[in-house]
Amino acid sequence: MNIPRGNVLKQIQLPNPRHLFDRSSIAPLLAGVFLLVAILFPIINRNQRDIDAMTNAGLYVILALGLNLIVGFAGLLNLGYAAFFAIGAYTYGILASMQIQPQWSEAWVWLESIGFVSRISQGGGLPDLVRFQFSFWFMLPLGALLAAAVSVLVGVPTLRLKGDYLAIVTLAFGEIIPVIIRNTPTITGGPAGLTGVRTPSIFGITFGYNPLPYYYLVLFEVVLAIFIVTRLKYSRIGRAWRALRDDELAAGCFGIDHVYFKLLAFGMGSAFAATAGTTLVSKLTTATPEMFRLPVSIGVLVMVILGGIGSIPGTVLGAIILSLLQSVFLQEMSEWVQTFGRLINNPWLAKLQLAPAMDLVYGIILVLMMLYRRQGLIPETLRLTALRPEELKVEPKPEQRIELSFHPLNPAEAKCQLLTIEGLTKRFGGIVAVDGVNLTVNPNEILSVIGPNGSGKTTLFNLITGVIPPDQGCIIFDGKNITGWPMHRIAACGISRTFQTLHLFQNMTVLENLLVAQHAHLRTSVAGAILKPPRVFVEEHAAVEWAKEILAIFGNRLLPRANHVASSLSYANRRRLEIARALATRPKLLLLDEPTAGMNPAETYELMEQIRNLRNLGLSVILIEHKLQVVMNVSERVVVLDYGRKIAEGTPEAVRQDENVITAYLGRRASVTQS
Amino acid sequence: MEVIIQQIINGLSLGMMYALLALGFTMVYGIIELINFSHFSVFVTGAFISMFVLEAMGFNALSQALTDERLIWTLSLTLLVTMISTGLLGVLIERTCLRPLRGFSGVTPMITTIGLSFILTTILMLTRGPNVLAYPNVMPDVRWKVIAVTYQLRELLLWAIAILLMIGLNILIKRTMLGKAMRATAADAEAAQMMGIEVNRIIAITFFLGSALAGAAGFMHGLYYRQISFAMGYMAGMRAFTAAVVGGIGNVVGATLGGLLIGLIEALGGHFIGVKWVDVIVFSILIITFVFKPTGLMGRLKVHRA
Repeated sequence: MNIPRGNVLKQIQLPNPRHLFDRSSIAPLLAGVFLLVAILFPIINRNQRDIDAMTNAGLYVILALGLNLIVGFAGLLNLGYAAFFAIGAYTYGILASMQIQPQWSEAWVWLESIGFVSRISQGGGLPDLVRFQFSFWFMLPLGALLAAAVSVLVGVPTLRLKGDYLAIVTLAFGEIIPVIIRNTPTITGGPAGLTGVRTPSIFGITFGYNPLPYYYLVLFEVVLAIFIVTRLKYSRIGRAWRALRDDELAAGCFGIDHVYFKLLAFGMGSAFAATAGTTLVSKLTTATPEMFRLPVSIGVLVMVILGGIGSIPGTVLGAIILSLLQSVFLQEMSEWVQTFGRLINNPWLAKLQLAPAMDLVYGIILVLMMLYRRQGLIPETLRLTALRPEELKVEPKPEQRIELSFHPLNPAEAKCQLLTIEGLTKRFGGIVAVDGVNLTVNPNEILSVIGPNGSGKTTLFNLITGVIPPDQGCIIFDGKNITGWPMHRIAACGISRTFQTLHLFQNMTVLENLLVAQHAHLRTSVAGAILKPPRVFVEEHAAVEWAKEILAIFGNRLLPRANHVASSLSYANRRRLEIARALATRPKLLLLDEPTAGMNPAETYELMEQIRNLRNLGLSVILIEHKLQVVMNVSERVVVLDYGRKIAEGTPEAVRQDENVITAYLGRRASVTQS
Repeated sequence: MEVIIQQIINGLSLGMMYALLALGFTMVYGIIELINFSHFSVFVTGAFISMFVLEAMGFNALSQALTDERLIWTLSLTLLVTMISTGLLGVLIERTCLRPLRGFSGVTPMITTIGLSFILTTILMLTRGPNVLAYPNVMPDVRWKVIAVTYQLRELLLWAIAILLMIGLNILIKRTMLGKAMRATAADAEAAQMMGIEVNRIIAITFFLGSALAGAAGFMHGLYYRQISFAMGYMAGMRAFTAAVVGGIGNVVGATLGGLLIGLIEALGGHFIGVKWVDVIVFSILIITFVFKPTGLMGRLKVHRA
């Protein structure tokens, strides 16, 4: 599709994002300082226990970032996260220890040639055995891939479940894995655990039991993890996740494939967990099933919640605070309390161990955070302060808006119908919500659908956009039979809608709402989002420019608030954002479901003008509206529904005179008195 | 054959306990759509409180079991005190930690209950340490052998208490104004409020009833196994929760039947497949039910979920 984009708003500077950490100018500086401190830490502090504690904290950071990706970005509560940690740990543990020693055969030769197994002779005429010694560097990505694959297998049947149900199912899965590990001692070492796992080596240097190489390995992994999640979060991928989290229905209507993106989040998060698991087991050289049970999953969740669900710096902070509390501070505090107890001759204090109180700390944090600070220590989104007067003055000149053009109408296209609906029927139990409706929409036309409450107007929209499948009938749009298509495919072929009850992506900014809407037109893949080649830069830049042009339709209503979170907007601005978001998809057909609901007369009039402008820009519109003044003013044709049936169709004037319509609106008695 | 019948008897005893616990889950879910993880620890708290009560009356693990009518009075008193205490604990939890979150959809209240569960469990551990505790010995070890199957007095008592409590709950829900108000709140809290039902009070009462039943289950657990541990709530709780889900979460009759079913599956599965695989069986049932029949066997009261 050829989209001429006017150079309308190139001069207009959007107000600077005033986010505290995310993408603000101080963030890279802060990150650099922290990195420098982290690199120098083992040189400043040579205490091996402290270095090891920091290493463990780093592993928790990786775990927490992975869980944050699933819970925070995609909004899928996963209580079985530790199972994927276990998968990574045990995969490497088994393939790098003497747990399994099959008999030697020729099939092992090629693995021996790359050094992943070796042949050991038992002597005494017994057959030779295979010793596994897979490379750590090879198993690191392999374990991650395996965990991702398992999580996808688990996810396919379960991810359509919502919220608490999904949490329970993942919890159950997370408990099954350690039980299986415990009950299969020949493979996993059973309850006693795996022992003698090989430590990694690089350039001929074996890591052994020296904490220093692990420290730098984990530091590298942490930096990589932070880099990946940050890049993902602000890409097309991360926006799709957050849109799903905020509003699943709207996300589908704007072209986001639920199944794919949920599985992607689940798989990637699990891969993070497996990476941490592989690293941990190589450091400890041992693993037991108890290391991977529910308390671990909950512990990592507490880290994410403490730091701030969805917030990357928050998650890192939460993980570091809690893991250091567990491994260092609680023990030191125990020592202080015990010394104090001996000092005042209190035997109870002198023997008090604070370490088992970690669960208590977790519990208290969960309850307090949920009750008083659900957004965490470092919230994901910060509410911006009210705009200063000068910030409101970014309105483009009125005549410039006309340059915005959606898709050039070619004359041949103009003759055929854009949308044809035949015999469309939907039943809910005994109620026929939409009953054999026939409808056509011509290109560049505004068609209004009116009817009393409960006459099936919104159901009609839900059928056209694929939110619910029709029972009978077919929908042909732009020459394609789209009946029964999933909503994200329908969205991608050029139908866009607004919702009567607002369905904005509440925790995303105005600009991000519009970028999500362009999802189907953007091509950035996971690799593209992480590596950000020039192609992605260009694509993102174009998407932002397009979003600005759409925002400019509404003058200075939305444009100055581009970086404000959607939930902070006024009611009328939210209604405008609904329309702007629908327009950002570059639709051919726009479905507006009571766009002026709750607006005052002035705002209604303003919006009416804007809808008329949209038609001039080459769009076709179906409008559901109760305010007849709006309907009569803007629409070319009007369709009237009553009890799911089409009872009248024609020009606004004709419909106004129609006997059936008067009956439907005013009741039988009124029509009797009229006749 | 005798072994199997014996296992069925054992399974039913377990099932009664799970059913009592499952009722608490299902009632709370039915009324505010919350998966209440703190229910696990309320159950354990019940076991501990009953132990404290018995100890206060001078019983310990080594004392002589009672054989006269004092047994009935001791058990009744303990049951009553335990149920009232855990019931009040449930109300306290609801009032302080869940009512402020009323109206928050999704998983926020559920995460809160996970936190509460951690807090309660740790507090219980701090009272007597992390070891398994011997439960006070009050019940005489009376057994009857009827055609090669052994019945124990403890088991029969457990059945009697459980069945009485369930009948009582059923009458309360089906026959009283309070029960009607509870059912109305479960069906539509907003509409119930408009009809003059004090929804917050009904929710508090629901928590009281559910938690009291959990306390009774904790007491029975102590009598039946003669040992308790601060950590026992999770596994028993997850089974009871599975029972509630299998029966159709929100459905009171379903929870009872689900409890018995899970008890039987545990006993017979343990016998035929192996005790160490019971957890896998139960959790698999939980997953399979959620994936293929989230409404459970008996159907859920509310069908719509936002």
